[in-house]
Amino acid sequence: SLVIRGEKDEQAVLCSKDKTYDMKIADTSNMLLFIPGCKTPEQLNADQASCNVIHSQIAGFSNNYWELRRCRPKLKKLRKLLMEDPYEGPDSWKDQTLTFSKYTTEDLLSLIQASEEEILHQLQVIDACKIEGFWRILEFDYEMKLLNHVTQLIDSESWSLSKVPLCTCLEELGSLEPREMIEHTLLSYGRKYIDDAGEVYFEMHEDKICRAIAQMLLQNAVKFNLSEFHEVWQQSVPEGMTTRLDQLKGLALVDKSSRPETIFLLKVEDLPEDNQERFNSLFSIREKWTEEDITPYIQDLCAEKQTVGALLTKYARSSMQNGVKVYNSRRPIS
Amino acid sequence: SGGAGGLAQWVLVELQGEVEPRQSGELAGSLLGDLHYTREGVPVLIVGHHILYGKVVQLEKPFAVLVKQGAGEPSPAGPHACYTVTALIKTKLLFKTRPKPIITNVPKKV
Repeated sequence: SLVIRGEKDEQAVLCSKDKTYDMKIADTSNMLLFIPGCKTPEQLNADQASCNVIHSQIAGFSNNYWELRRCRPKLKKLRKLLMEDPYEGPDSWKDQTLTFSKYTTEDLLSLIQASEEEILHQLQVIDACKIEGFWRILEFDYEMKLLNHVTQLIDSESWSLSKVPLCTCLEELGSLEPREMIEHTLLSYGRKYIDDAGEVYFEMHEDKICRAIAQMLLQNAVKFNLSEFHEVWQQSVPEGMTTRLDQLKGLALVDKSSRPETIFLLKVEDLPEDNQERFNSLFSIREKWTEEDITPYIQDLCAEKQTVGALLTKYARSSMQNGVKVYNSRRPIS
Repeated sequence: SGGAGGLAQWVLVELQGEVEPRQSGELAGSLLGDLHYTREGVPVLIVGHHILYGKVVQLEKPFAVLVKQGAGEPSPAGPHACYTVTALIKTKLLFKTRPKPIITNVPKKV
């Protein structure tokens, strides 16, 4: 079955179990009659019965129909809703008093313009978790606190980053934080696997951990001196991990034109969802972009089988600057 | 896809202009006309005293016929309406030539 989703101020979309489609009404000056059971010439030829009159009813007629075009699921709202009340931990007084702004799966299905599978997939991507039946996003500081517990334990136990035992983590950290939260952190920042003995382990995602720590450092400053940042960042990550700028795609941007070079936080999820608005926003942040710099900030706009190149051709204008191809806005940005 | 035991297959008939009921009658329950196919498979529609020739077109983008299920009034608390695909339309009979009047009595010039 199909579901049409959208609030009064939104454009309707049609959702199957796993896909989302824009709906547009198409008008025709012709009249369209629908006839159930009407036979085509091929079907009648095969039916070698004698000429009979077949009484058929016209089920209805119309001058218009809905045209569907597959579109990207509109998932920005999902994060927005869950950010209304991020989970700050069991000690937070907020959770005991406020009960609004919490969403179950059913709530999300009626509010988000996307198919169920796309919504559930996105919940996993943004590391949301279900607490008491409600989908919650962790407040960033709380998430870092949890991550820090885990990385400190890994360090003190001298475990390999690719073999972190679930059991021991729960034992050692269970007194500090809820066990579900410990496990959620391991699931968010690692890959779960079971060894031959049936024990559960996690292979930690070096890139994701380094990225989170960078965010923690960058969000407290408007911008950072790049070389200072490199130093502090490398020192802040767990032993054995190596920081690399490419871990920060879609999270931070380096300003190579400033002296000294600086780096600042720019999260793709904070930018508009609509294509034109996204490009306007990017061009107002920076007038000219290289393809390498802009790609992480427009990658998610690509429709099925669409490339970043195609998007740039459509929404930007290219020129050469110091021998490098750069893109700027097609229209003046105020 | 509609296969054995699958969805009903309907056919679309596309006409230019409008269909009006004879005299002051209603469209519902009235006879539209007769549909024939020539030996070559050309659809022929006889409406009133007009004859229309058309062609069978396989639709590039098939249509799905949706029937609304569920609650009438939308409400945040109540059950949500959903649509079930009742039939598929993969073929249409397109009549876009000018209807020709059928003249049954042509007096011969003497």
